[in-house]
Amino acid sequence: MQSDYIIEMLNIRKEFPGIVANDDITLQLRRGEIHALLGENGAGKSTLMSVLFGLYQPERGVIKKNGEVVRIQNPNDATALNIGMVHQHFKLVDVFTVLDNIILGAEDTRLGFLQKKEARKKVQALSEKYKLSVDLDAKVEDISVGMQQRTEILKMLYRDNEILIFDEPTAVLTPQEIDELMEIMRGFAREGKSILFITHKLNEIMAVADRVTVLRKGKYVGTVETKNTTKQELSAMMVGRPVQLQVEKGESTPGDVILDVKGLTVPSKLHKNNAVKDVTFQVHAGEIVCIAGIDGNGQTELVYGLTGLEKASAGTVTVCGKDISRASIHKRSEAGISHIPEDRHKHGLVLDDTLENNLVLQSFREPRFQSGGFIRKSAVREYAEKIIGQYDVRCGQGPVTVARSMSGGNQQKAIIGREIDRGNPLLIAVQPTRGLDVGAIEYIHSQLVAQRDAGKAVLLVSLELDEVMNLSDRILVMYEGEIVGELDPRKTTVQELGLYMAGAKRGGKGEAQA
Amino acid sequence: MTFLIQQTLLYAVPLMIVALAGVFAERSGIINLALEGIMIFGAFIGVLFVRSMQGVAVFVNAASSGKWLTLQGLELLAMLVSAIMGAVFSLLLSFASVNLKADQTIGGTALNLMAPALVLFLIRIIANQNTLQMATGDAASWFMIKKSTFGIPKSTNLGFFGETFLHKVYLATYVCILIFVVLSIVLYKTRFGLRLRSCGENPQAADSLGINVYRMRYTGTTISGALAGMGGFVYALTTTNCTANGDVAGFGFLALAVMIFGNWKPLNIAGASLLFGLFKCIAAAYTSIDINGDGVYLLAQIGISSPLYRMLPYLVTLAVLAFTSSKSRAPKAEGIPYDKGSR
Amino acid sequence: MRNLLDKEGTKKVLASLISIIVGLCVGAIVVIIVGLTKDSIPLGGMWDGVRLIFAGIFSTGRDAQGVLTWGYNAQALGNMLFRAMPLIMTGLSVAVANKTGLFNIGAPGQYLMGTMVSLMVALAIPSSVVPAGIIWILAFLSGCLAGAVWGAIPGVLKAFLNINEVLACIMTNWLAANVVTWVFDVTNFKNVVENTKSGYIYKTTYNGVQTPKLLLDKLFPGSQVNGGILIAILVAVAMYILINKTTLGYELKACGSNRHAARYAGINDKRNIVLSMAIAGALSAGGAALYWLSGNTEFYWSTYQSLPAAGFNGIPVALLAVNNPIAVVFTGIFMAMLDIVGVQLTGYTAYNEYITDVIISVIVYLSAFSLLIRTMLNSKKGTKTNANAEPAPAPAPAAEQTEIKEGGEEA
Repeated sequence: MQSDYIIEMLNIRKEFPGIVANDDITLQLRRGEIHALLGENGAGKSTLMSVLFGLYQPERGVIKKNGEVVRIQNPNDATALNIGMVHQHFKLVDVFTVLDNIILGAEDTRLGFLQKKEARKKVQALSEKYKLSVDLDAKVEDISVGMQQRTEILKMLYRDNEILIFDEPTAVLTPQEIDELMEIMRGFAREGKSILFITHKLNEIMAVADRVTVLRKGKYVGTVETKNTTKQELSAMMVGRPVQLQVEKGESTPGDVILDVKGLTVPSKLHKNNAVKDVTFQVHAGEIVCIAGIDGNGQTELVYGLTGLEKASAGTVTVCGKDISRASIHKRSEAGISHIPEDRHKHGLVLDDTLENNLVLQSFREPRFQSGGFIRKSAVREYAEKIIGQYDVRCGQGPVTVARSMSGGNQQKAIIGREIDRGNPLLIAVQPTRGLDVGAIEYIHSQLVAQRDAGKAVLLVSLELDEVMNLSDRILVMYEGEIVGELDPRKTTVQELGLYMAGAKRGGKGEAQA
Repeated sequence: MTFLIQQTLLYAVPLMIVALAGVFAERSGIINLALEGIMIFGAFIGVLFVRSMQGVAVFVNAASSGKWLTLQGLELLAMLVSAIMGAVFSLLLSFASVNLKADQTIGGTALNLMAPALVLFLIRIIANQNTLQMATGDAASWFMIKKSTFGIPKSTNLGFFGETFLHKVYLATYVCILIFVVLSIVLYKTRFGLRLRSCGENPQAADSLGINVYRMRYTGTTISGALAGMGGFVYALTTTNCTANGDVAGFGFLALAVMIFGNWKPLNIAGASLLFGLFKCIAAAYTSIDINGDGVYLLAQIGISSPLYRMLPYLVTLAVLAFTSSKSRAPKAEGIPYDKGSR
Repeated sequence: MRNLLDKEGTKKVLASLISIIVGLCVGAIVVIIVGLTKDSIPLGGMWDGVRLIFAGIFSTGRDAQGVLTWGYNAQALGNMLFRAMPLIMTGLSVAVANKTGLFNIGAPGQYLMGTMVSLMVALAIPSSVVPAGIIWILAFLSGCLAGAVWGAIPGVLKAFLNINEVLACIMTNWLAANVVTWVFDVTNFKNVVENTKSGYIYKTTYNGVQTPKLLLDKLFPGSQVNGGILIAILVAVAMYILINKTTLGYELKACGSNRHAARYAGINDKRNIVLSMAIAGALSAGGAALYWLSGNTEFYWSTYQSLPAAGFNGIPVALLAVNNPIAVVFTGIFMAMLDIVGVQLTGYTAYNEYITDVIISVIVYLSAFSLLIRTMLNSKKGTKTNANAEPAPAPAPAAEQTEIKEGGEEA
């Protein structure tokens, strides 16, 4: 008797020290279906998939393939069961060629020597059949994110996988590329391959999935057919309460120019070209200007150029009428820039230090925190307690909590509290909600709007289209280091935005074309 | 010129093989700062082995009756033994870095402190002085390949090539070159090499493809230890007359610099070794280098004092690092312990 | 909360104690193995060796029957304090650099430069013109300055050219060894008065310069101890204050634990790296100055083939002290005790002083992961506290962990 399900994960429980990541979770995948796994950041989706892929061993529960219990102890076992996975953070070796990456771990050899000819033929055939165009001899570090994803998909196909797991595959794609990916996934399903599609984006689920399983805070909520449900219902299942999908905010009333950027050019660390090319724009008091674009189109370097983390090779940056083009990071900060950094672990916090020390990371030199070169511990403590209370930072041991031990959301709240409290006229926020749950996201959005309403200039860099559309008063789209369009979020659509992001369309309002 | 080439090779070859030792460790993701210590240890083991074999009848007879093949066999055997013990010694580093996820810099430093201490402690007890020498004779009389080895009279001129590469040379030099070539091919053309390199660049990716990162790192570091141990003995054999004194004068660190200069690529490393070998050779023997064979010892006569020549390799290293560091590309995951549990 | 911090401290002390005990045991085991395999060493000699390893500082030599005698040995204790002096200083040097995330293996070179300059100043200024006390201070300070400059070199290379500081330090060590030989070769500080010895520099007492004893010689009669040990302890306290109480210390630590975050916050990371290495260099060199300005040892100037152990031994001193300047005083004294033990071993048994270097290297090896074990204990506790503070924190080990690692990597 053949089971209806090709893969079943029954009553899975997985614990980490102090946390139950998966608590009694059941997931049943039918043959030839596209099954979505929905949940917030931290709901336990990735953990569950890691269990299926043999990266973690569950404390409880069984996995069945075709109705028979299997033990998956490592990725080799998963591969032997024809399970393949495209990880959210691609598992590619940057300095290897695409071909080497595809064959790695499944190499054909003769006397230990690699035989690449056959492999090349097989990969070429697959890439033609599924229209997954890749350059087999290019190094991964030189190819686009889209091609990297196609490489990952080819890795699965090369291993003849039948069960394909896609972990948040759309985060790095333009709306148009997402449509293509969906088409490819449907093609796989038609061929009888079974697909697990992990996401937190409702639109995509409604568009492509047959069924959807929802997780919340490590627990199983339910499985529903997509044709019998709505986005509202799914989002309530995911968060556990009705969610305000729209950010509440009134009209903006732009004031004076706070940030004035002219012809800014920033060289790239990765390649010989400039990462930011001759960019000109302004941000006024009382407005949120959003830089949209696909990751890696110069947004990071633009912010580095503004804050001084990277030296600009040309152009001027003026904050509140003060030219800071050549100023040090410290001087720029003093001139009025607050900066919520993209990578809170790399730049935002000294993870092994206490929360209170982290909260005075920029301001420890100010007279209120030091006298004669000696730190005033009591003043720092007092200040930390104030920020913790004001911004609702949850931390086990108060000001002396080690930053590393705090959850991502609370780390981010601490950074936001620190940056906002400095009272600077310009707030640069780079992906401030990345990796956070809905509660934290709502809080951060409301803080940004509050800053705008208080007359601050807010420059937001975001990769999330929903965030871009909901939060901003003006949108600037970056493509390959240039600003290719200025859009009004009230008058544009996600589709149009996607065309700009993909570089297929340019122009928009004239002033953006510097 | 012949002298210069021979001397350069004497330094360049151990440098090259030890730099390759560094490559195998770092390409697997482990920073092997202990190359210096492993060399010291390998040199000691090799010399000790030779010394004790000199009491064995087969070799005593071979030495007295000129059975040079047997003696070359002894040399190869000593290389093998020092390689094995070097590998064993390097397990201390693998264990600390892979199993215990320790700081690799400190672990390597510990080995660098341990090797000379242990070696000197033992040498003092064995030989009652601070240097361990061969029991009888010297490296040249036992192991050096000369014209007389093949029964060719001293007066015969073998031509430039023959005089340079067949007269007054050590077999070890050529064995090392051969090993270097073979291992370079292994690194780039085999499944093992591909997998090893992936562990140094992106162990998470390797693991997700079913490659055992821990095992790869152990293997890489063990090969590294074997090469460094052997390199240490070859260094002792060819440049210090087969003696061990718990010191290789920073040679292991020079090898690390050569590795960085060579951008972790064997071919570049071979070139870099020759360059460094030349400087090391000038530093060691500038008084007796007769560049164009006209009997004028130019370097000695310029009047630059000897400390300056001795500083040359270190100065050059710093200069070279200064120029290449910004462009050099270390394996991305080197020095970061890989934790299977958290990926 | 106090309680918890205390526990943290206890854990550190415990980890270091374990390292020490295991190190000593390994030393003893080596002694036993060698004793059993070597016919020339009798069983009794082996047993003496083991006992000396653990308690050599209380050895008072052998009596008429050749049996080891034990007791309070003021001379040994005094000499221990004397030898602790440079070790505390180099230990501080390594510890301060470590706070800034730099591994200062360049202490031997800095030590040599300090030796050279302080000796030259102490001998070059005639004490008939300038009071000896002033010369002493000048010699000490200029020694420190030389070390600071020498230490700053790898700092500059690291900060501006991103050269691995370990390699740069090693190279500058050997450069220093050659520079010192060279300079003393071409200058006239060689001891030519006492013809029995060649290759040595004058003691500073030749010019009437020496560290005052401050009555310590009365406390430890017959030993070499002098006021320098008190200076070393004072410096340790000063370093403790610098690191823990001042804005400069805050900056140095921030650069050390996350260079990127420090940069982001407008802290000049490059300047701090250079500064940290300069301070480290000054400390090592200061140790050398204290040692040689004592005036009771002669310097063998042909150093180009070897590097001073006092420099390298700063590494275990700092590691055992977990980079805490106050703890460095104690671990420095402990290392000096091992030194004395080595002397006793060489003097009274068939073994030699290198066994203590073996013990030290084992201790360094162990501290490589004792640090890690403590971090693991801490992080576990952290997660638990966190879990209590919040209902269900996000378990995102995957992405989070890698990010953390990347963050710390370059620093």
